[in-house]
Amino acid sequence: MVAHLAPRGRRLLRPSRREAGTALLFVLPFLLLFVVFRFGPAIAGVLLGFTDYAIGGDTGWVGLENFRRLVDDPTFWSALQVTVIFTALSVPLSMVVSLGMALLTRRAFRGSKVFRSIFFLPVVTSLVLAGVVFTWVFAEGGPWSRAMGALGLPAQSWLADSVLVIPALVLVSVWSRFGYGMLILLARLQDVPAELEEAALTDGATAWQRFRYVTLPQLRPALFFVAVIETTISFQVFDMIYVMTGGGPVRASYSLVYLLYDQGFKYFDLGYASAVGVALFVMTIIVALIQRLTLGREQ
Amino acid sequence: MTDVLVRQATAPAPPSPARRPRRAGRAWLVGRTVLLVIGALVTLFPFYAMVVLSFKPAGPVTFPDSLLPWPFSTEAYDQVIGAKSVLRWMWNTVVYSVVSVVGVLLFASMAGYAFAKKRFPGKEAMFWSFLAMLMVPYHVTMIPTFIVISQLNGVDTYWGMIVPTLANAQAVFLMRQFIASLPDSLFEAARLDGCSEWRVYVSIVLPLIKPILATLGIFVFLWHWNDFLWPLIVGQSLDMRTLTTGIASLQQENVALNMLLAGSVVAFVPIFVAYLIGQRYVTEGVATSGIKG
Repeated sequence: MVAHLAPRGRRLLRPSRREAGTALLFVLPFLLLFVVFRFGPAIAGVLLGFTDYAIGGDTGWVGLENFRRLVDDPTFWSALQVTVIFTALSVPLSMVVSLGMALLTRRAFRGSKVFRSIFFLPVVTSLVLAGVVFTWVFAEGGPWSRAMGALGLPAQSWLADSVLVIPALVLVSVWSRFGYGMLILLARLQDVPAELEEAALTDGATAWQRFRYVTLPQLRPALFFVAVIETTISFQVFDMIYVMTGGGPVRASYSLVYLLYDQGFKYFDLGYASAVGVALFVMTIIVALIQRLTLGREQ
Repeated sequence: MTDVLVRQATAPAPPSPARRPRRAGRAWLVGRTVLLVIGALVTLFPFYAMVVLSFKPAGPVTFPDSLLPWPFSTEAYDQVIGAKSVLRWMWNTVVYSVVSVVGVLLFASMAGYAFAKKRFPGKEAMFWSFLAMLMVPYHVTMIPTFIVISQLNGVDTYWGMIVPTLANAQAVFLMRQFIASLPDSLFEAARLDGCSEWRVYVSIVLPLIKPILATLGIFVFLWHWNDFLWPLIVGQSLDMRTLTTGIASLQQENVALNMLLAGSVVAFVPIFVAYLIGQRYVTEGVATSGIKG
């Protein structure tokens, strides 16, 4: 997975103990930070899920109690459902838009760079700011509800509707993310050998056939990469929900990370919050495996 | 902070040979232009709305009149920039972002140099543990990290917000990858001349890795400037909010829309400027190593 660790090129000097010591000093600051704030917490974060740690209380080992509570907690199931539906809608949609925009801006033409920059702008924009603007966009009588009304679709405020709130959040999410996938796919498209396409063209393949049998197979690894990242990020959706709906109406947009945040930092039940984190971890692993077996199988 | 996967550490591919331009059909060209223009308008609309609505006087404005740039008023900005708390949040955001950028670049480049060019005991084990930790979702580590910080009385302090974010393994990978591609002879020569290791790092390594410092610096800046969940739980008091957590709290207090958006514009301008200046680094960073923006 990672290039070999040995430095390239022949070494002139054998490493002395002193040199190894100096090298360790260079690694030390980062290593300390890593152990205290990443490695330790990662292990502790899993272990905490098996305790009843709460701020200002005694801590005891409770085994699977938190997970039993999770399974019996309707809020957990609804948060899981919200998160999975959000992911199932936003990842494919975002990838389709990414791929479309990558194909459209693939060949350099006057202004192609400008379009790419525009499409990437939402990616560097905070979801809190986006959330504030989109709250106005989706408000009753606002641009979205007017446009929908004109098309004969539901014209109420989508954020206030327990069914339409997820599609609305999905749209914001796609707006904020597709530029990232677009750039990854564009980079990969540059590497598709021109001869392949020329050959297909000479054989009289239609544009669709060229895309389906030449371009798409070449893009598989990149699509897999984007799918994994997009899924991971979708599972962790929080910022824009916090700003736009607060998890409402009536928990219709209450995601897993929202549950983790509330349990841990509103009710200070950090053990239970960690159990939610472990559930998220397990979901991430399962989905990565599934995607590796399906999308990534030809790697 | 967004958690990131590292793309397989492959060296950037050499630029592909120029393609022979194909004669594209007229219909395709027109269709492409139409689609791209629609896409660009949809993408830019929220930004336009943000700016226009932030220059409205207080009071209700109904759509579609609200999208016209009049009546024009800067009162929302006067109130926002005049508010002591907002100025304080701006300062907090600057401190959080800038100090983190400097810290991440310093520690990651030092570690990256050692990993790329040195041999030392435990190197492999460290490397694989860095890699393994990238698989663990951020939210799992966030809770114990918060406990550590609160035990050390770091809640509502700058250091408590900043220090945990400096443990950025992805930055070390990028540095290691970049420094590994530099020829050994550069360092050997200096060492034979009797330069100390620190001297080699400061006067040879740092100047040579400017491109990766710029790339990573911009990304770390963007991550921190836009970060939300971590500042939300560590910066709990009114005085320790950042622009993102501050604006979110204003929204929950039902502050007028023109003020919310004026605050948003103020928070967005530095990002926009950073993006314009460092666009090349941003796009190359995404394209070659898949850093998440």
